[in-house]
Amino acid sequence: MEGIEQWKTEAQQWLQQGIEYAHQIPPTQLYAAVAVLLFTTLLLLTIRLLKRTKSNTIVLSGLSGSGKTVLFYQLRDGSSHQGTVTSMEPNEGTFLLHSESAKQKGNIKPVHVVDVPGHSRLRPKLDEFLPQAAGIVFVVDALEFLPNLSAVTEYLYDILTKASVVKRKLPVLICCNKTDKVTAHTKEFIRKQLEKEIEKLRVSRSGVSDADIANDYTLGIPGEVFSFSQCINKVTIGEASGLTGEISQVEEFIRAHVK
Amino acid sequence: MLEQLLIFTRGGLILWTCKELGNALKGSPIDTLIRSCLLEERSGAASYNYDAPGAASYTLKWTFHNELGLVFVAVYQRILHLLYVDELLEMVKREFSEIYDPKRVEYFDFDETFRQLRKEAEARAEELRKVKPMGNDGRKQQVVKKGSGGFDGGNKKNKSDAKEADGDDGKGRKLENGHSNGNHNVVGEGNRGMGLANGKENARSNNGAFDVSKLQKLKSKGVKKTTDTSVVVSKGSKADPKKKVTKKNRVWDDSPKDAKLDFTDPVEENGNENIQVMAADQGESMMDKEEIISSDSEEDEEDEEVGKDSKPDAKKKGWFSSMFQSIAGKANLEKADLEPALKALKDRLMTKNVAEEIAEKLCESVAASLEGKKQASFTRISSTVQAAMEEALVRILTPRRSIDILRDVHAAREQRKPYVVVFVGVNGVGKSTNLAKVAYWLLQHKVSVMMAACDTFRSGAVEQLRTHARRLQIPIFEKGYEKDPAVVAKEAIQEATRNGSDVVLVDTAGRMQDNEPLMRALSKLIYLNNPDLVLFVGEALVGNDAVDQLSKFNQKLADLSTSPNPRLIDGILLTKFDTIDDKVGAALSMVYISGSPVMFVGCGQSYTDLKKLNVKAIIKTLLK
Repeated sequence: MEGIEQWKTEAQQWLQQGIEYAHQIPPTQLYAAVAVLLFTTLLLLTIRLLKRTKSNTIVLSGLSGSGKTVLFYQLRDGSSHQGTVTSMEPNEGTFLLHSESAKQKGNIKPVHVVDVPGHSRLRPKLDEFLPQAAGIVFVVDALEFLPNLSAVTEYLYDILTKASVVKRKLPVLICCNKTDKVTAHTKEFIRKQLEKEIEKLRVSRSGVSDADIANDYTLGIPGEVFSFSQCINKVTIGEASGLTGEISQVEEFIRAHVK
Repeated sequence: MLEQLLIFTRGGLILWTCKELGNALKGSPIDTLIRSCLLEERSGAASYNYDAPGAASYTLKWTFHNELGLVFVAVYQRILHLLYVDELLEMVKREFSEIYDPKRVEYFDFDETFRQLRKEAEARAEELRKVKPMGNDGRKQQVVKKGSGGFDGGNKKNKSDAKEADGDDGKGRKLENGHSNGNHNVVGEGNRGMGLANGKENARSNNGAFDVSKLQKLKSKGVKKTTDTSVVVSKGSKADPKKKVTKKNRVWDDSPKDAKLDFTDPVEENGNENIQVMAADQGESMMDKEEIISSDSEEDEEDEEVGKDSKPDAKKKGWFSSMFQSIAGKANLEKADLEPALKALKDRLMTKNVAEEIAEKLCESVAASLEGKKQASFTRISSTVQAAMEEALVRILTPRRSIDILRDVHAAREQRKPYVVVFVGVNGVGKSTNLAKVAYWLLQHKVSVMMAACDTFRSGAVEQLRTHARRLQIPIFEKGYEKDPAVVAKEAIQEATRNGSDVVLVDTAGRMQDNEPLMRALSKLIYLNNPDLVLFVGEALVGNDAVDQLSKFNQKLADLSTSPNPRLIDGILLTKFDTIDDKVGAALSMVYISGSPVMFVGCGQSYTDLKKLNVKAIIKTLLK
């Protein structure tokens, strides 16, 4: 008990000294110090907020083998180098698009591009990047489209119904890759097939969702046939060929949403 | 000859390939390797075999450079066993990591270095061959042994022998049902193939005889005794080792088959005697084992005592240095650093009822992915390992194929044919009960369901299903007992097509994974009816046996099938999930071993107690 009493008196003495010291300092100086403190915290907060709103991340997604990694290197270096194999980890990079860096306009904001592996075991990685994304490029293999139709649709449906996509109205570009090949499907055909499949999925998914909340939102307007124009976020369709470097539509999309 | 050597980043960009070799690979072995081996947490294995569509078969070997995120893969023809590949990969890894720069993507100057390395490796391999002709002989003998091991394993008769075989060629067998490891001689393969073929033939004829006798017994005793089946099964398995011994002799003697049949028949008749003999034998061996164990434990204790003396000092130092390391961030993780953390993790997984084999493999794979990586500052090794394990678990439990059955049902409806689901599993796991739950769930989503009672074996099975059908008000297709289940299922599907049912749920008899005649019947059922979904029903209570059950079901379905591309298990239904509290490891074991997802979870007694697996919750519980 005595120890505590002693501590108490000591603490009071310290306090007294502190107050006396504060009294000695002119009040203007004190106010200035408080103001500086407030200003810096506010500044830090605003910087953080600004950073969050002005994201420059573009996410490349799509099934395994659709050509995301090639597209990534086409955007970065303008070449697919010596080819690619199935990715095991995401590719990330912040850079000026290759076509733009050649022009040297100056004052262009570099883009942060993330290539998320398409293997179904690695899909959860996508959730890590979506919250920072400014736009999504969904790459579809136009050559081997029909055999993979159901898998493609499922993945696209999952993306389009994710909370992080719907809430922030992330624009999505469905990019039909490998159009340099003769037997590749046209983008109109792919769009129609995808809409048809999503319509089917919508029916079956609405039945499942009560068991486990995998999808946060439902797509389209109930009672109407689904089309991409019903989405809250903007969904566009483009064509590209990663191998030959014909990727202008992807670049346009990126520039439209990262400024 | 080496077919190809690739260096690529984990991101998937090829940095360097050997242009000299320049052979176009048939198929896409690299992509297949990554998809079906490296991404499935099986990178702890030594090699991977790939069968290209055009009769070419490759063996792939790989090594990681985790710090730089590089993968080195060598591809060669399987029939040539190249001794120097491992060494070459190591050398390439060492040399390449020196010139690697993350910003560079082309390494043409590495061609020259590689040429030298390869020459060096080849020369060294040649030397080894010259110096050690004795070693080669030893190898051959080993191969013969392996052959016999494979034969035992193929038959799955005697556990202890099978274990020996496992020790010999465990990895090769695990990778692909008894394919050779690529290191075997051609001669060895030939031998082994013969062994396998003979073994299979014997097994078939044996089982034929066994089956007939069993049926006769059943008939004579009447069908009333349900317990009889289990007795017969146990008799069979106990009498087996005897049979196996004679078989083994005969195979290598090449004596005619009749002799064997003569021998096995008395064994069947005097089954009881054999059991007694075997029981006595087992008793002895157990005694022996106990002795060994006790002496072992004594030794352990001594070791521990010795260890205790030196431990405190080590610990004191360890604490300070680990503090320092955690702040500074250790340069590179080494295997020795990871071991304690991995062991703790493995123990934790095992307390959560994950099969030991699986926990072991997972830890190996995580170690392979972490070794040589730079540890971030302000982290402990245990947390690094835990994070890596969590990532691996997410990867495993995330379903690879769609588990949206309703959509598949709708697709089948459009094609005007019923969607057939076959429920398989061992006895008493709850196949019929959960079949009824699935039926209820489908009914709620306005799908017309029909049940097919193909358990024509256990008495009361049809009545049980009929009760469920009556309560759910759905049609049931039944043909009584003693009918071939495959035919019953076929007729049921035809009936469903006629009356326009969307889904046919086929109930089958429960069977132990080692019961060959019953497994053959199941294989026939699946082959004949080609169902859309083969659902394995497994208890969540099961521990180490989960691995055995699933791998044997899969293997039997593959081995006993007559079609070139057999149907395997497509999905898992995990039952009795409400009884296990936090011991959720069975889910992980089953998914890992079969590669197929958990589609439903049964968690109670009423029709509504059917759920989907919550992957996040499972992982959280596993690592808690």
